Amino acid sequence: MCLPVGMVSSDHCRLIGLLMSRVFVTGLGFISSIGNDEDTVVDHLRKLKHGIELFEPLQVPESPVKLAAPVKDFDVESYDPEDWIYPSKYRLRREILRSFSPHVLYAYCSMKQAIENAGLEASDVSNIDTGIYTASAGSSRFLHKSLEKMYNRGIMRCNPLNIVSSVAGTVSFNLVSNYQIQGVSTGFASACASSGHALGFAFEEIRRGKQKRMFVVGAEDCNFDSIVPFAVMRALSLSTDPDSAARPFDKNRQGFVSSGGGVTMVLESEEEVARRGATVYGEIVGWGQASDGYNVAISHPDGRGLQNAMKLALKDAELPVDKIDYLNAHAPSTPIGDLSEVVAMKEVFGPNTSPMISSTKALTGHGLSLSSILESGICMLAYKHGFVPGSANIDELMKEAEGLNIIRESLDRKPEYIMSNSSGFGGANISLIFRSC
Amino acid sequence: MNSRIEIETVTVAPLSEEERAELADSLKRCSEGTRDAAFQFRETGQLILLPVIILGIIERFLEPEIRPKLKEGDGSLKLIDDLGIDSLTMMEIIVLVEESLDLSIDNEELRDLRTLDDVRIFLDAKIRNIPVPEKNKHYSVEAILAAIPHHVPFLFLNEVSLGKEEAIGSYTISGLEDFLKGHFPDNPVFPASIMLEALGQLAVFYLVTTQTSDARQPVDPKKIFFTGCEAIRCQRICVPGETLSLSIKPRAFRHPIAKFEGKITVGGETAAWAEDISLTFDWASESDNSE
Repeated sequence: MCLPVGMVSSDHCRLIGLLMSRVFVTGLGFISSIGNDEDTVVDHLRKLKHGIELFEPLQVPESPVKLAAPVKDFDVESYDPEDWIYPSKYRLRREILRSFSPHVLYAYCSMKQAIENAGLEASDVSNIDTGIYTASAGSSRFLHKSLEKMYNRGIMRCNPLNIVSSVAGTVSFNLVSNYQIQGVSTGFASACASSGHALGFAFEEIRRGKQKRMFVVGAEDCNFDSIVPFAVMRALSLSTDPDSAARPFDKNRQGFVSSGGGVTMVLESEEEVARRGATVYGEIVGWGQASDGYNVAISHPDGRGLQNAMKLALKDAELPVDKIDYLNAHAPSTPIGDLSEVVAMKEVFGPNTSPMISSTKALTGHGLSLSSILESGICMLAYKHGFVPGSANIDELMKEAEGLNIIRESLDRKPEYIMSNSSGFGGANISLIFRSC
Repeated sequence: MNSRIEIETVTVAPLSEEERAELADSLKRCSEGTRDAAFQFRETGQLILLPVIILGIIERFLEPEIRPKLKEGDGSLKLIDDLGIDSLTMMEIIVLVEESLDLSIDNEELRDLRTLDDVRIFLDAKIRNIPVPEKNKHYSVEAILAAIPHHVPFLFLNEVSLGKEEAIGSYTISGLEDFLKGHFPDNPVFPASIMLEALGQLAVFYLVTTQTSDARQPVDPKKIFFTGCEAIRCQRICVPGETLSLSIKPRAFRHPIAKFEGKITVGGETAAWAEDISLTFDWASESDNSE
């Protein structure tokens, strides 16, 4: 049988005996609401310390939402990047900053951290075998400001770099140029599943031998313009108590708390890991994606797409369902979203084989495009530091979740197989499976 | 030439309170003097304020270590090579200049702005609403080779820009010049005599490329020779990696002698100047052309 190029599935490869590379995670960088370095993030996860606060830009009468989970030690509120305050070790020249919006700075810093963390040389970063997949929704704040200026002052009186700094794709534009990436590059825009798509496809690039190394970067702004539009969808928690607002799987959950930041993950082929003698966090062993085909913004009541994504991921990893030790759920703390996922997980895992389950969004808030790569990063930290992060703020478990092993405290136990779920608008669902090394 | 003190003005749109606040915000990273000059210009339209505003805006976009170069007032500084301004930065500068001076500039008009003087002359003409003086014409090294008899390894011009009354050229000392092995061993210094030679080559290029008013027929490139130079002063050692910015201006032209003055700068610093570089020349005759 002759298979057309591009039609070779992992099953086919196995059937015809093609060698597929194993894919390892060798570097991480975090600029997040719960820390801007690995140790701080781990400390928050172990002790269930959240990154949520009464966010200053939201403390205005017209904003019904008051809480957010912003990045700490970064003041990027100004429209002028030259005004920004951020850790001096990331100091950037004006010509680089001028095409950034806030989340691009987060992304840039997380990538710098990940490159150092993975111990990559400049030549490892810039070559035709190293690519980058990014995820962000762009900067509605910067887009809005630039259009406002265009209408008020005239088309030719705007910053020439308005477009590249603000549209979806800006993370790719800026990181590819500044880190001199020469391999594959593109951006993903599937809302809260975006960085899951980026990670899944980056995994494929290496597994199929097209690239030796991939950077996967997710990033989002966290400001008035990125948060408040979700209020009218009734998707946000209107609570003013930072300690209890984000409560996935709780009976009284009322919406998510918005977050932003940037996370970078470095993936490498088995060959590259061996060549560099790289330290490995964990391995990616499979993924699945499926769509609800149901509603533009509401998840399917039975989590149809997510069920299929989880089943496909298990099949891709050739793993029986009872091998999953821990599941990092998407569960954003919305009434409908959490319920769909609970129904889907029950369907996939059955009554007796529930893995440990938690949603770390209770601590991090919901970083939208950022969330999938942030949570995959958290799974890698669970491997390296030997713990399972708990699901915080559950006072009364939603009754539909009874029977699932939702853990409410972090446990000192190194899981072997981890599944991480993400779902986005339009019913896009991703499930990724990792293995400890 | 004109000893009368005369403050020329143009009509500009005055700023509303709101526009003034917006302009102040746009110019917040410029010096106070630049901001004040811009406000004053929008009140009075005094052209004398233009250089302060334009240089102040350019300065704002330069890396701090490059800013002192502007203070020297060398109009031949190149935007890209000397000041590190890329095309995107040029767009930022233009947008801010447009806003400050209440001007609109087309992309086409920006194409040949290469030096600070180009920018100054261009904006001065724009604001007066008069035609922009004809820009210098640029010649690549291939065009230079085609025009003058000099050739590698004895050509000391990489590019030339020809104006009405001057020629500007540049030469980057590669360090591979053979004579640097002996001048001096382990300490390569570009010889002063070769600096004069480079100015001479630029003068030859000027002679054969421009149609001077006295010249009724073309000058023969093969019949131009150096005869003398009244004075030459070298003020700076030039070493491999540096780019010599050469300029010559015609001083006299009467067959068979043409005289020029010349100057060489490196990154805005004067390296050498020469008075009365004299060249003999002759016309390209019919018989020569037929050879």
